[in-house]
Amino acid sequence: MDVMIQLQRQLREHSAFLRKEGYLDDQFEQLQKLQDESSPDFVVEVVSIFFDDSEKLLNNLAKALEQKAVDFKQVDAHVHQFKGSSASIGAMRVKNVCIEFRNYCEAQNIEECLTCMQKLQFEYSVLKNQLEYLFRLEQQIRAAGV
Amino acid sequence: MASDTDYDSDGMRDNGNGGSSEGNGRRRRHPMMTWRNNLRALVVDNGRICRIMESGLLDAYGVEVEAVGTGEAAVELIASGETFDLIVIEMFLPFMSGPETARTIREMGITSKILGIAPMYWEKDAQEFLAAGIDEFLEKPFTPELFVPFLREIDNQK
Repeated sequence: MDVMIQLQRQLREHSAFLRKEGYLDDQFEQLQKLQDESSPDFVVEVVSIFFDDSEKLLNNLAKALEQKAVDFKQVDAHVHQFKGSSASIGAMRVKNVCIEFRNYCEAQNIEECLTCMQKLQFEYSVLKNQLEYLFRLEQQIRAAGV
Repeated sequence: MASDTDYDSDGMRDNGNGGSSEGNGRRRRHPMMTWRNNLRALVVDNGRICRIMESGLLDAYGVEVEAVGTGEAAVELIASGETFDLIVIEMFLPFMSGPETARTIREMGITSKILGIAPMYWEKDAQEFLAAGIDEFLEKPFTPELFVPFLREIDNQK
């Protein structure tokens, strides 16, 4: 019983932390509301797809920026996709870096684009760790409740 | 803005006509809103996550949803006789763009409400999309706050 209470407290605190620090915004709650008894793992499934897509996008962005003659339209297309997917699940910090990135694509500023690329990799990586921890807590709670 | 990276090929069923659609299949037992009429929506978005969230949210709010990843697939679906009360189109689709898709749908005589959406845009993008025949242009994410007023309007007019 104590373990359950402690786990639930950790979950509440971690969720509040993610909101307060701006990792997640209201849209994540919209995602959570889509989970129901007929789709009990909806959030984890959607976030897994987000992780997959994000890693492909980051790879493609890195390759595009390595080219001798950078195709900024292509870079912009990838950043658009990333902004769309991150905004759709409430990944606020990642989304905000995409907004900044987009402006530098428009200006064809390769140095700032590379800086944004690093920021994006960092924010994505931190978010992934934070969400994986959140899901581990939820799983532990489910296991403790059985 | 065509991209050679296909982020949406997974989960797309080919219906043999060159287009593909994801029928929602799962209808929510307890939608968050109910309507006087049966409302149908078509989501046209090449981004997998966006498409899942847009259709998921519409479904949660009591709308029957079809979702496709290209403008071509949307046009095919409508040409096959499917009717929708609401059509949601991403601006930056590969191949047939969002504005081209909207223009083609309007040229087919479709008068349904069409919402254009984009992750980010310049003013000229919005103007281009509106000139192509959409009713409203929205920035993602696609939230209930944004789409419920349109559903209400559609339901009242049916």
